[in-house]
Amino acid sequence: MSKDQLIVGLEIGTSKICAVVGEARSDGTIRILGVGHAPSRGVRKGEIVDFETAGKCIREALVDAEEKSDVLIASVYLGVTGAHIESFNNRGAINLPEERGEICAEDFEEVQASASEVSIPSQNSFLHSILQHYYVDGQAGVLNPVGLLGNKLEADFHIIHGATKRIQNSVRCVKEVGPEVREVVFNPVASAQVVLDENQKSLGALVVDMGGGTTDFVVYVDGALKQSGSLPIGGDHMTNDISLGLRIPMGRAEALKVEEGSVLLGVSPPGERIVLKDETGFAGKEIEREMLNAIVHCRARETLELLKRQIDESYLPYLGAGLMLTGGCSQLDGIDQLAEEIFGMPVHRTRARAVAGLTSAFEDPIYSTAIGLIKYAAAIQPERPASLLKRVLGRLSFLWMWMF
Amino acid sequence: MIPLARNLPSHAPQDVRLAIVGLGGAGSTALDRVLLDGLAGADFVALNTDTQALTGSIASEKIQLGRVATRGLGAGGDPDIGYAATEEAVAEIRAALEGAHVVFLCVGLGGGTGSGGARLVASLAREMGAQVVAVATLPFTFEGHRRMLQAEEALAALQREADVTICFENDRMGDAVSPLAGIQEAFAVADQTISQSVRALAALTRRRGLMHLGFDELATALRSPGTAAPRCLFGHGEADGDNRANDALTRALKNPLMDRGRLLDDVPNVLVNVAGGPDMTLNEVQILMEALNRHIGDDSRILFGVAVDPQMGEKMSVTILGALPGDAAVAATAAVRHGARAVEPRPSPRRVEPQPAADEEPRYAFAAAPREAAAPLDVEPVLLHVAAHSPPPAPALKRTEAKQEQMELDPVKRGRFERSEPTIVDGQDLDVPTFLRRNVKVK
Repeated sequence: MSKDQLIVGLEIGTSKICAVVGEARSDGTIRILGVGHAPSRGVRKGEIVDFETAGKCIREALVDAEEKSDVLIASVYLGVTGAHIESFNNRGAINLPEERGEICAEDFEEVQASASEVSIPSQNSFLHSILQHYYVDGQAGVLNPVGLLGNKLEADFHIIHGATKRIQNSVRCVKEVGPEVREVVFNPVASAQVVLDENQKSLGALVVDMGGGTTDFVVYVDGALKQSGSLPIGGDHMTNDISLGLRIPMGRAEALKVEEGSVLLGVSPPGERIVLKDETGFAGKEIEREMLNAIVHCRARETLELLKRQIDESYLPYLGAGLMLTGGCSQLDGIDQLAEEIFGMPVHRTRARAVAGLTSAFEDPIYSTAIGLIKYAAAIQPERPASLLKRVLGRLSFLWMWMF
Repeated sequence: MIPLARNLPSHAPQDVRLAIVGLGGAGSTALDRVLLDGLAGADFVALNTDTQALTGSIASEKIQLGRVATRGLGAGGDPDIGYAATEEAVAEIRAALEGAHVVFLCVGLGGGTGSGGARLVASLAREMGAQVVAVATLPFTFEGHRRMLQAEEALAALQREADVTICFENDRMGDAVSPLAGIQEAFAVADQTISQSVRALAALTRRRGLMHLGFDELATALRSPGTAAPRCLFGHGEADGDNRANDALTRALKNPLMDRGRLLDDVPNVLVNVAGGPDMTLNEVQILMEALNRHIGDDSRILFGVAVDPQMGEKMSVTILGALPGDAAVAATAAVRHGARAVEPRPSPRRVEPQPAADEEPRYAFAAAPREAAAPLDVEPVLLHVAAHSPPPAPALKRTEAKQEQMELDPVKRGRFERSEPTIVDGQDLDVPTFLRRNVKVK
């Protein structure tokens, strides 16, 4: 089997680092071979703050993934996030030469280049430019312009850019550990690949990936990615709030959030208390459940409200499929109800879909991004001429084996 | 053929006479800062009731207010005493402002001398035929509700008298300072911002530009329809080096009153002045304006000016000014309160000799522009005082409560984000637990 069909998605999260090894099949499906993860240290708000420690954690996660999938990881698709990442939409346009008239595949690259001719801050570099729509001679709704006749080809692109140095930090950190980084992908773009199906994309949907350090989002309207971004607030903040509010250590606050936390107010009987057990199992401090929920509620509500403000209002009526919540924080009790109240649209908790293999892996929303990286990589792979060639060679070798 | 030199200044820049006046304690401190930062060819006048503070000032001219009314002590936080004290020194103030074309009045509102005397000094300066630019600061919310009320009242009065009023909210200054910085540093930053704005505006009124911006544009930019207390956006950045256009803009947008350019979107009139040495290229100006345009809303009018100043050397600077439709609720109450106090309509003398900065244009009495007392209340959301989910108290009260937490009295509250870069959105450090910022009671 050709090695090139193996894809590794690596997400350096604030709470955990996970590496997913997957296999892109020729029929377009994806099979998960193994998932390795390690608790993350040295990462705050989605960005590496302690290079050495983060490097150790990445190694741990990669080794774990190698052991579980029995694959040697040579290169990864790296997911990045952080408040420094920004996005905007831009239209590129080219005039086709008079004598030709017919649009060919090369013109597409030219349009893409023309759309990227915008000034972004000098310290930033482009991450993605994702196609939204084509226009041929001003006519909208062209799905594939290749082969059409026209004088002018235009295309809308969603352009994502981020601080070069910060992205380089993540890339360098992975390279120090060993594997090559094949491509850097903005996390929510990856998550959306597995959280949404084509139908939901064309209906319009908002994907919110509530992670440990950041809350990332993408907006799909009419099948095209319209907006994306990242808020530097996440589950880490919730844990921190609990830890400060109840005066308990971070580790215990985290466990309390996961096991008992809820964003719903007024549902627990008044005066209900939770007994905090210490490591040895002895009953220790008692706290009121409503108090814990109030702390979690405040943070969750604020985060979602800030998020709503970030999203272009004009898109909100076009999100027919509603809001898809994913990421670790989407497991919080009642967060879908809260989001429904704030956004006024149906909210679904989702996780990766349309993949085969280790079901336990993609049943958990915390792996959405890492699995999404594989889907993303599989989608762009045919565009890479080198890998295509190798795939053909791979087929030939298979034939060779079959003949003898 | 004789080439026509385009950049030949038609007026020597120095023929606009500036007077910088610092009134009251905060005003004098700001004045000292302007002096220390250096502004050539301006008269500096310090006015204060407190003799001790006045002696400490480094201004060239000092006038003691209220020899009789306060006998060399402060005004004790009472604007009426401040007004009386200023009234005593009218003759001296007149003498000091003689011949000035533009008067910059730096004043900290909320106390006695500043709140009481500001409108009087402004009206005196106008009577003398000068254009008055008032640079006022509002107190921190934690200084108390009463003080804020006094300040807002004084601001409304000042806006009637001055041609241009730039208002800095001390609460917003907190954004510029890291939450761990000492209080002294926080105040120093406030003074620096004021000094920077005075110097930038002084340069604006004096410099003869290729595309000139005058006093009239300044007034237009700062006029905001329908509100008594427009929130002023101000940003000034200077940079040199290869990437100076972008760097200058980034610095200008970093200003605490700018909120990284996010608020610019809602400003109806934006004044942008770009200045640089003779080697500034058109391309650089283009890059800068393109980058800036992304922050400015489509409906906004841009008042654009370019000036070449040999003194800038290799530097390039950009000044951005605008007024945000303010907190309508507060504005309305301030207007009502002010109406009860019945201030006589100010005499409006027409200046006889126009100065190069603002010629034939009529005076812009923008503060007296018609106000809608019942402006819609939901102008606010732009400012992201994230709406409290607890039962909403009266608007004015809510404002106070929401801002109370901005002062980091207890830095421990950031927990594990102690040493990380703070995430600040509209004056709130998001790393501080939400329940603390919103005063949700947790035992």
